[in-house]
Amino acid sequence: MLAGLVAWAVQFTVIYGATSTLCGRGWVGATMLGVGNVQAIILAATLAALAVTALALAWSLRLYGQAGDRAAPADRFMSQTGALINGFSLLVILWHGIPAFILPACA
Amino acid sequence: MNVPERPRSFEPREPDPPNPLPRPEGEFEALKKAWEPPRGISFITAVNNTYVGLWYVGTAFLFFILAGILALIMRAQLAAPESDLVGHDLYNQLFTMHGTVMMFLFAVPAVEAASVYLLPNMQAARDLPFPRLSAYAFWAYFVGGLVFFCTIFFGLAPNGGWFMYPPLTSTRYSPADNADWWLLGIGFIEISAIAGAIEIIVGVMKTRAVGMSLDKLPVYSWAMLVFAVMIVIGFPAIILGTLLLELERAFDWPFFIAERGGDPLLWQHLFWFFGHPEVYIIFLPATGMVSMIVPTMAQTPLVGYRLVVLALIATGFLSFGLWVHHMFATGLPKMSLSFFSAASTAVAVPSGIQVFAWIATIASGRMKLTTPSLFVIGFLFIFTLGGLTGVMVAMAPFDWQAHDSYFVVAHLHYVLIGGMVFPLFAAFYYWVPVASRRPLSERLGRWVFGLMFLGMNITFLPMHITGLIGMPRRVYTYPVGMGWDALNLVSTIGAFMLAAGVALFLVDLARNFRFAGEDNAGNVWNASTLEWLPNGNYNTRSIPSVISRDPLWDQPNLPKDVEDGRYYLPGTATGGREALVTSPFDARPQYILQVPGPGWQPVLAAVFTAAFFLLLTVKFVLISTICGVLAIGCVIWWLWETDPGPVRPPADIGGGVVIPVYVAGPMNHSWWAMIVLMVVSGMVFTCLIFSYLFLWLVNPGAWPPQGVELPDRFWPFAAAALYSISAALIACASRTLRGDDRRSPGSVPVLIAVALLFVAAASALDLWAQWQSGLSPSAHAYGAAVYAIASLQIFFVLTTLIMGLYTIARWLAGKLDSVRHTTFDNTMLFWCYTVGQGLVGLMVVYGFPRLTGGL
Repeated sequence: MLAGLVAWAVQFTVIYGATSTLCGRGWVGATMLGVGNVQAIILAATLAALAVTALALAWSLRLYGQAGDRAAPADRFMSQTGALINGFSLLVILWHGIPAFILPACA
Repeated sequence: MNVPERPRSFEPREPDPPNPLPRPEGEFEALKKAWEPPRGISFITAVNNTYVGLWYVGTAFLFFILAGILALIMRAQLAAPESDLVGHDLYNQLFTMHGTVMMFLFAVPAVEAASVYLLPNMQAARDLPFPRLSAYAFWAYFVGGLVFFCTIFFGLAPNGGWFMYPPLTSTRYSPADNADWWLLGIGFIEISAIAGAIEIIVGVMKTRAVGMSLDKLPVYSWAMLVFAVMIVIGFPAIILGTLLLELERAFDWPFFIAERGGDPLLWQHLFWFFGHPEVYIIFLPATGMVSMIVPTMAQTPLVGYRLVVLALIATGFLSFGLWVHHMFATGLPKMSLSFFSAASTAVAVPSGIQVFAWIATIASGRMKLTTPSLFVIGFLFIFTLGGLTGVMVAMAPFDWQAHDSYFVVAHLHYVLIGGMVFPLFAAFYYWVPVASRRPLSERLGRWVFGLMFLGMNITFLPMHITGLIGMPRRVYTYPVGMGWDALNLVSTIGAFMLAAGVALFLVDLARNFRFAGEDNAGNVWNASTLEWLPNGNYNTRSIPSVISRDPLWDQPNLPKDVEDGRYYLPGTATGGREALVTSPFDARPQYILQVPGPGWQPVLAAVFTAAFFLLLTVKFVLISTICGVLAIGCVIWWLWETDPGPVRPPADIGGGVVIPVYVAGPMNHSWWAMIVLMVVSGMVFTCLIFSYLFLWLVNPGAWPPQGVELPDRFWPFAAAALYSISAALIACASRTLRGDDRRSPGSVPVLIAVALLFVAAASALDLWAQWQSGLSPSAHAYGAAVYAIASLQIFFVLTTLIMGLYTIARWLAGKLDSVRHTTFDNTMLFWCYTVGQGLVGLMVVYGFPRLTGGL
């Protein structure tokens, strides 16, 4: 139910931790693909978090679909709220990945 | 009085109550007797949530008034330029105390206090699961808070601003005790808040009306659950921060002193990791209140229940990604700032969802303009404005312009007064009929609202402009001709209007509030939730079974049936106080919890705890230590009466439902509380490890600094082995204690005693390894961080020692066996945590510098 928000929390910790560490120590450079290492980490963390959240969303929707109207109201509530939370988390995670495309790494 | 009409009719689907009538003679009398509060001087030892809750709310409100008076003095000083009503030093103390008291002694305690009163009633629980813990939290706060406040009369009040930034608050610039009052006084009041949070989490999860599954939980309970979890995650950061700053001030451990490898920014991170969620910590309970008031006033169910729950949970998470937006002006990389900017704008979405849900509810029903409705509308207006300026300051470039100006003062007061004070006043007017024989006056209430609403806006709206044209916050005066004079005068007039509104509220209280034991004013608003059932000291006569989120609307016979004792547990099964513990997901009855009654132990423990911390502030070390020992003694005395065991066979609570009067293991309520306590401890430790890593980051090439040798590899491995053996011994003791037959194996105390030796030896070895390597805690931040990790571990090991010895004592007294083993379980859980923390600490302290190779 909370997977999307947990994924966001992990993404947030990774991207902020990596930016602070790499910029703080001046360990900024380019990766093999020509993308800066800070940007690459942000991108990877964002994609990973999005993937986990999308799976969680699909899972909540599947549970909801399977349960249908026959399920206990509490189960229906949990799967519906889970779907809402995970759907919202997708947007939040995406929103946090955008700066990597706009700003220089450590300015 | 505007009493709304009855709501739209519902199909009667009410189940048959489980208990027949008439009820046996003496059943109700026994229930009443069990829940009666003590008389005379012992009345202060009452632990019923209704008494403690009211005292708690009253005390929080007292601090609101006191801190408000400080604000009026400041506004009087600023009414005219170059005024000399108060000097700069007193002014510094005034704004520091105003912020500190409002945030720590009013806002958080007020919402926690309201929930101590409301939650059990709303969930039809007889009381909170740990009533003595609530009493302890209240008395510690009451005594500690009042003493702390009195420092202002002696010029001893803290004066470094409510967020206490070093180096201003370090020994060099604040050598006097003022800062220590803040660090020790507020630090320990946080402990009281955490005690309350543990109580609330277990209360929401485990003590509900039968059938009140998560989808039927009142929104207020959801809000309080998220609130309490946020306290558990957020408050440890400030507890650790105050600990580190106090260690620096008392023993010269340089966590925040840049010349010796420290960094003042570390404080800002720790403070705001707590400080920003704090805003939501006080806002969410207020939204929970609003979500209860709006449906009643509109006489229709809340629109978008699931979305509101989503909003509460999402806010709880996202609010932990905002803290650096208080540090936009500290020169961090723009990329880092942008993450916090993103989170700061994202968090507006769930708040917006809630606002729209309320508006939709108002639109779908017929809102009566009662006083609570007026305060809700005022809240919507003011909070939305504050939210909009919040989105403005969430933009880093704008924030650089507005930072530390009166614009920020305006923004934060719009958010806090709008987001918390107005809902709280709505709640006062709405819920007083539950606690009082008479409701408050609607006529006076309108005046209170009018004065407060106008006063608030007249005070703070001009401050946006005062700030934008350059007036910095926290200046004690300003010269003529800056263009600030008229705006400041208007703000001062507004502040006194606001104060007049609050004064009128006090008049209303004095005229109409009459404490009600069993004869409250009743369901005057035709509300739908369980706190409006007929109640007394025992809360409801019987514990209802609910079929919807609005039981009083959907089950019209409920009040009468509950009052007649036709629902569950209409009497007392054990002859004492009891609560019904229900399963966390679908609220099925699990067992009868024997609730402790009144006693001096929590009161005395609280007084001695407060004395310990406060006397430490003024360096009365010996008396303070004695008080600390007495506090621990009182806690042990208090605990000795708990864990009663199965005093009788399982009891029938109605409808053929037979449940035990005692269970141990993961179903037990104290197991849950212990898990929450472990999360709190884990967060303190996580923040400490964060501090260690942060200090590493700002010390390139000096981790460890030159001249410091890392201890030999032998030591951490030896200590880890000792920790592991102690855990294995406890696991062994736990296995011996399991089984169906009731026995009390003699190996248990021996295993605990040997395990104690091992765990103590492990931490001693760790400390010795650092000490013999010649590492000094005061020479460099590296040493300070290493010794901080070791010291925290020693604190946990000492606590484990006390718990271990206590468990052995329970065995010796014949109070611990294979059925009655909750005490052992709690010790075991704490033990596992201590060992886990010890192992991680060893890995970080000995492994990390080797891993990074001194980089």
